[in-house]
Amino acid sequence: MGSLTKDKFLFWLYTFFVLLILGFAIFAPWLAPYDPYDAVMRQSLQAPSDEHLFGTDKLGRDCLSRIIYGARTSLMMTLSLVAVITVVGTFIGVLAGYMGGKVDTVLMRIVDMMLAFPGIVLAIAIAGMLGGNIVNAILALAAVSWTKYARLGRSLTLKLRQRDFIAAAVTSGSKPLHILWRHILPNILPTIVVTASMDIGTMIMELAGLSFLGFGAQPPTPEWGLMLNEGRQHIQTAPWLMLYPGAAILIVVTIFNLWGDSLRDIMDPQRAN
Amino acid sequence: MKRLGKLTLVLMIVCLAAVFIAGCGGSGKKEADTKTLKVGVTNFADSLEPTENYFGWVVMRYGIGESLAKFDEKMNVQPWLAESWQISADHMTWTFKVRDGVKFSNGKPLDAAAVKASLERAFAKNKRAVTFFKYKEIKAEGQTLTILTEKPEPNMPGFLADPLFLIVDVSAEPARNFAKEGPIGTGPYMCKTFVKDKAVMVKNPYYWDGVVPYETVEIPSIDDPNTRAMALQSGEVDMAVNIAAGDIGLFNDKTKFHVDRIASLRTVLARINQQDVLGDPKVRAAFISACDRKVYNEVILKGTFIEGKAPVPPSMDYGFDQLKDPNSYNIERAKQLLAEAGWKDADGDGILEKEGKKLTVDFVVYNSRAELPIYAEAVQSDAKKVGFDVKIKTVDYNLIDKMGINGEYGLLISNITTANTGDPEIFLNWYWKTNTNGDNPQNGSGYSNPALDAKFAELSTTFDRQQRRQLIIDCQQIIMNDGAALFLGYPETNIISSTSIEGAQMYPSDYYWLTNKIKPAKK
Repeated sequence: MGSLTKDKFLFWLYTFFVLLILGFAIFAPWLAPYDPYDAVMRQSLQAPSDEHLFGTDKLGRDCLSRIIYGARTSLMMTLSLVAVITVVGTFIGVLAGYMGGKVDTVLMRIVDMMLAFPGIVLAIAIAGMLGGNIVNAILALAAVSWTKYARLGRSLTLKLRQRDFIAAAVTSGSKPLHILWRHILPNILPTIVVTASMDIGTMIMELAGLSFLGFGAQPPTPEWGLMLNEGRQHIQTAPWLMLYPGAAILIVVTIFNLWGDSLRDIMDPQRAN
Repeated sequence: MKRLGKLTLVLMIVCLAAVFIAGCGGSGKKEADTKTLKVGVTNFADSLEPTENYFGWVVMRYGIGESLAKFDEKMNVQPWLAESWQISADHMTWTFKVRDGVKFSNGKPLDAAAVKASLERAFAKNKRAVTFFKYKEIKAEGQTLTILTEKPEPNMPGFLADPLFLIVDVSAEPARNFAKEGPIGTGPYMCKTFVKDKAVMVKNPYYWDGVVPYETVEIPSIDDPNTRAMALQSGEVDMAVNIAAGDIGLFNDKTKFHVDRIASLRTVLARINQQDVLGDPKVRAAFISACDRKVYNEVILKGTFIEGKAPVPPSMDYGFDQLKDPNSYNIERAKQLLAEAGWKDADGDGILEKEGKKLTVDFVVYNSRAELPIYAEAVQSDAKKVGFDVKIKTVDYNLIDKMGINGEYGLLISNITTANTGDPEIFLNWYWKTNTNGDNPQNGSGYSNPALDAKFAELSTTFDRQQRRQLIIDCQQIIMNDGAALFLGYPETNIISSTSIEGAQMYPSDYYWLTNKIKPAKK
């Protein structure tokens, strides 16, 4: 009992933090003290001061404003990526699990093939071939990350298919699409959502990684991975250019990971009992 | 409880990482090794075949190959493997006296026949050779080499100082694979092993010009400029070339480092493709006018670059101060020119449009020189203020040459040496002489001006120094008036060495890094 209350408390605490981060992203134009693109080149590489709390970058842009706007870029990229892989992966997995037979075999062999490649390396290759920009980075990571959801969706569906209420739905003449939508999807959704929430942190890191390598966001977009790469040139003379974007990634990833964990804890039926 | 523990763990990792990073910063000055020299460079060559691409530069920089003539610290041509030279009265025949007593690193003596074979090899293998000069015949007799040219070639000794014409022992092929094992040259060192990331040189036992101080020279290629600076700081290398602008301040301690900074012969410029939106002279002029080059060089690059204006840098005497830049920084003029050319911001997004097309320009950039992406982003930001949407495309250095030739760019950044031959004629020809059916492949921009071509033709047959100088000034002014390229700045270049060694010197030509003058410091 006590453990559940505490789980709930932590969940709401982390949810609060997550909402806070989302708030930063949504209200960036009101929160940022300067325009993140406004290059006042005569003020390049200024150390943190009252005027520029996090200092300025090589083109004299305000680092704090760029980090706040960076939350927008990073979260928008990450959430769309997670949405894409969850929907596509789950759909394919459920389809394979429910239809069985040849469809199952073909789809799962495709998944096996994708899994035979090291994920991030393949993503870099795909992003490199498509050319570096935000959409291509999302596509590249989506192409290597959907398989997890396909496997999960399939195994959950296979388990459910044996259950009596599915048999009842089949004998009462429901169409396959109706069964998938009304009976199977609602039952597997909690697990999928928990998995997706725990993936957010990883995906933020991977997208920032691609941007760091030049395959994601392109200058002058304020994006944390890209900012890290730009700051790298000045690591010894202007360390704040790496410190703050790095800290931003660390904090946001930690919060999303903790939030994902706590969401799993309160949704886990074993613990609820 | 579990998650509290997790938080603590995260904090601990952060602290550990901080301690670890702090620990890395310690000074690692080691005892000087007098047998082995370590040089941190940036290497673009995939092989040591001197006639491939520009790889001859690397062969010369690493102390393997030498040429008939060399450039001193003021870019005057000096004798090297040739003792002296003279030109015939009709200006069509050059005679070189090949130095006596020089041996290749395999012990074979150098004579005119070996030089002839080496030069002919360069002409046979690299198309760039004929852009220097065309010969009717090369004759070798004892130590006397005679070159009969098709037309008068005023700057022949300067041409032969180019690393493309460094002298190799052709008879050592095919027993030795020059590309993989390095050519047999006459330099103080010879190649032991070579891969792109690291070359190892050993002493040439037959060297002709004094003592070779090191048994072994290790030359790791550290392409990232910051990593190179750190390698030098930590003592991992004894000297390093081309430390980035932002990092030079780290080497101020005179007891530990010697900094040799010189104005180079290089120009950082952006080639402008004339077949695209920038083909409109007004749009081009507007683009150049929008770029505040003074701030890029003096503020952002901390004065390690000189403000750009003309093709030839002020380090050479080709009228830099008298040249007038019609497109100097003027943001109002830029806006007005764009309006005159019919570009308007109809949808209010800050980017101009004309006939439904956005004013978008692709800017191709490579990263192995630290200043290039900085320039590119500064230009991007300035150009946006007048309504250009500049898209920066970062590509690998090896693609730049091909993209330049094929014209696959809107703007293409380059850091180019302007006087490989001691004279900017070839540089100006390469990039701005009309390219008819690929006869001048380096000009992939589509730029063509008959008035400029006429000046180039005149220049190629002019021997008088003053006349040459005036012609080169005229050519530059035409190029600037046409807005044929965006001249961003002129870099300094540097070699920074630890005080445990002495004699490391940077030359304006940038061809001579490893020499036998570099030796352990006297204690």
